Amino acid sequence: MEKINIPDTLKSFAQRKKSELEQYETVITVPSGTCCQAAGSLPVLLSLQKAVEKKKLQSKVRIRVSGCQGFCEQEPMVVIEPGGIFYGRVKPEDVKEIVEETVINKNIIDRLLYADPVSGKKVAKEEEIPFYKLQDRTILGENKFIDPCDIGEYIARGGYSAFVKVITTLSPDEVIAEVKTSGIRGRGGAGFPTWKKWEECRNAPGEIKYVICNADEGDPGAYMDRSVLEGNPHAILEGMLIGAFAVGATQGYIYVRNEYPLAVKNSRIATDQARELGLLGKNILGTGFDFDIHISRGGGAFVCGESSALMESVAGKVGEPKPKDVHATERGLFNLPTTLNNVETWANVPLIIKQGGAWFSSKGTEKSTGTKIFALTGKIKNTGLVEVPMGTTLRRIIYDIGGGPQGGAQIKAVQTGGPSGGCLPTLKFELPVDFEALSAAGSMVGSGGMVVMDDHSCMVDVAKYFLTFLQDESCGKCVPCRIGVDRMLEIITDISEGHGTMEQLDLLEEVSEAVAVGSLCGLGKTAPNPVLSTLRYFRHEYEEHIKNKRCSAGVCRELIHYSIDKEKCNGCGLCLKACPHGAVTGKKKKIHVINNELCNKCGICKEQCKFDAVILS
Amino acid sequence: MDIAHVESILSSHVGKREDLIEVLHKIQGVYNYLPEEALWKVSETLGTPLIEVFRVANFYKAFSLQPRGKHLVTICTGTACHVRGAPKFIDELKGQLNIEPGETTSDKSFTVETVNCVGACALGPIVIMNAEYHDRMSALKLRKLIEATKEKDKETTLHGEN
Amino acid sequence: MPEYVNVTIDGAKIRANKGTSVIDVALEYGICIPNLCHMKDLNPIGACRLCIVELVEGGRSKVTTSCTLEAKEGMVIFSHSPKIVETRKLIAEMLVAEAPNSRAIQDVAVRCGVTKVRFPFRNKNCVMCGRCVRACTEIWRSQSLGFVGRGKKRHVALPFHERPDFCKRCWYCVDICPMLITPCDGPMEPGNEYLCNKCESQLTMALESPDTCIQCRLGKGFGCPRGVTQE
Repeated sequence: MEKINIPDTLKSFAQRKKSELEQYETVITVPSGTCCQAAGSLPVLLSLQKAVEKKKLQSKVRIRVSGCQGFCEQEPMVVIEPGGIFYGRVKPEDVKEIVEETVINKNIIDRLLYADPVSGKKVAKEEEIPFYKLQDRTILGENKFIDPCDIGEYIARGGYSAFVKVITTLSPDEVIAEVKTSGIRGRGGAGFPTWKKWEECRNAPGEIKYVICNADEGDPGAYMDRSVLEGNPHAILEGMLIGAFAVGATQGYIYVRNEYPLAVKNSRIATDQARELGLLGKNILGTGFDFDIHISRGGGAFVCGESSALMESVAGKVGEPKPKDVHATERGLFNLPTTLNNVETWANVPLIIKQGGAWFSSKGTEKSTGTKIFALTGKIKNTGLVEVPMGTTLRRIIYDIGGGPQGGAQIKAVQTGGPSGGCLPTLKFELPVDFEALSAAGSMVGSGGMVVMDDHSCMVDVAKYFLTFLQDESCGKCVPCRIGVDRMLEIITDISEGHGTMEQLDLLEEVSEAVAVGSLCGLGKTAPNPVLSTLRYFRHEYEEHIKNKRCSAGVCRELIHYSIDKEKCNGCGLCLKACPHGAVTGKKKKIHVINNELCNKCGICKEQCKFDAVILS
Repeated sequence: MDIAHVESILSSHVGKREDLIEVLHKIQGVYNYLPEEALWKVSETLGTPLIEVFRVANFYKAFSLQPRGKHLVTICTGTACHVRGAPKFIDELKGQLNIEPGETTSDKSFTVETVNCVGACALGPIVIMNAEYHDRMSALKLRKLIEATKEKDKETTLHGEN
Repeated sequence: MPEYVNVTIDGAKIRANKGTSVIDVALEYGICIPNLCHMKDLNPIGACRLCIVELVEGGRSKVTTSCTLEAKEGMVIFSHSPKIVETRKLIAEMLVAEAPNSRAIQDVAVRCGVTKVRFPFRNKNCVMCGRCVRACTEIWRSQSLGFVGRGKKRHVALPFHERPDFCKRCWYCVDICPMLITPCDGPMEPGNEYLCNKCESQLTMALESPDTCIQCRLGKGFGCPRGVTQE
């Protein structure tokens, strides 16, 4: 690729690319993000490529490999333009028919269409699918039109034009003013006003400054950042270019967690291509602005999502958070002024410049403007990524977009904000999702993870799960987090095993307070939230475990008991074969028995039994 | 262990202390773990004190200072996968391979690890076998996967390849 | 010409040298702020969290460690607000439960007002205060010790658990370890640990004037920079 030397040439490059793409009659988009690939999109892609070749349609049909589009439940999927025909749960065997029927003959294959779980109706066009229709896919919607490994597609969509606008017509102060008008708050979890961070960094003394993109996304259950970075990395690059210009930085870093190899790969390809074209490096577009981006890979540590720990990690050290008496905007990476923002925050920046801060702030609520992407998972029909304006209610997200509970059970709670957040019961589902409302209720927006739980989930177990996670991920430097979280886990384990006392509940609350006040970093300070929120709304479950030594959800292994119903068992032996602990004995066609000494209560036997003969009590 | 290989990996990182984590990834990519001798070389070449290299190698979950098995089975224990039954897989692997997460089988064929979310939550529970993602897993599917892997190993040794 | 800053700690207006940490300012003035990982000549890390204070700025208060907080002009600080006292007490209680076999830790717990320990004792021999690690790196510059591992598994170790040639064998790491001196009645056996509380009278004094240095014997136990004049 030839370098683009002046801003105006970007426009002509975009035109050229656009016409190149328009010459194709048909475009088939195959989302192939990490989750899509896990579902088997690559074999579908390969079959599609072979089928198109076989029919000699390469000049007429373009196959676009895109990033995740968020409707994970239906993967692997393909979208065919023109017409926006959506086929879900596609198998390699279906490809031949798709090419013949839909591509060539323009017919729709009914059996591959999405059927709305509520009405049962089939929907042919992607844009009509209720899951998508009820969202405002400002950021995510772009993934459909872009091959992350081709900078040309991003530019053809108008990419980098916001940066050109900034570098040719705006001053750093004007950029910051536009961001202030938008009211955007950090999308990583803390919700700090982005313009304020930029302004602080801009005003900090020093020649060398840094901008960082936090793509560590360690919250279990959250994968919005992964999808945006994998599917549209250039949006982040453009955002960082604009931010660097505003604060006066010449070097940027994207810190990607080690568990996202595809995101690491795609962002490296993106920076390489941007550099080739002259959009990164020295004298960008001939304007005299120098800026480059280095992709740093993490090593597997949740605490590195904390900004000071992240900066330590970028510097090649252990990811231990540092005291925050001096802000990172004054002394951050390598002790120099640094602006660190989340992936989604950066992705919004080019749009704010292009469409204006007022456009952004017209969505959402007064204090929480714009849209936010949520990862809706758990016991729900439509799992996937949901982008809605801030202020949308939990009910709308979970029932209208999410389609309600899966498997006929009742929804009990929704966990938001990852390990720093809390569980909210169904009676709180009228709450609007914004920074203030969820915090007041005892949870938080966090990075955007939303895990839906039904009555098969035990809230004591959920609290225990998060404490175990935090104990594993704590850096261990400060006493309240290292020892405090461990003691909290000790108490909750006692409760979940049936030998807890009511005094321990009081002690649990006391320790939670101390950990929240005394910890050094955000991980420790928010560690008590899962415990405190479950105590607030589900105290009866704790008391049941303590007073009655009972776990109604049937989860806490010490309090449950598996046995085989003599009436229903027909001796098929499936449970015996499946048991990994060798706890089931019995002869063929004779009633089987579970040995309680060996049984580890894993429940695999119950999964296998076709006669409903395994009883959980 | 061929120290010259390590030296060639380090040649483009001389004196660059901030590259430590990337360098360790590269070395582990070659040897499937971090040999002590290599880490002494890293300390020397990057200029990082040995204790710091040792600290980084121990702090990050991705790195292993012990040789790992041929097949790496990673169970995702993120919230969504947990709620969909991931703990059962630990039982299943105990039954199949007789090891807990973090351990390697005595014949060095399998290592089991857990990871706190790989970001494919909608398709959970996820198990990753040697960098290949398997979605919507169940205890039975996991058993079949382990058995299939063992079969393939037997085949290759039968045919004389290692 | 030394520069000064004026700060207010617990209502007292103090003039301090610029660049001093809040804990040093307080201790020099005679305000007792319990501490463990704080040591003269070592860079503060804010690990034990005992020296926490409330910094009031613009109507909002922030909790931070006074060892890492540099005294700046006009700062208003509270070292014994109810929230701080409660939190400090619980942290000290957890420390005693973790490592009761240290006179320093027993003394600091009493100074923080701990009268009972509600956690099962663990009888560890290290609380990760980081004195040894910092002294090795910053004073003796041999960099033979470091914190290895994460969370509960964190421990002080030598590289690859072997003493390297560059360890200067100065044994300073041992000298400054708070675990060095056992409680007055001798080492406690696992299963027979207790909150010492022998210096009960000191506790009464400490509770009556929590923020004032009472020149107590407890200070000797945890190596308080103010020292002790009566023994």
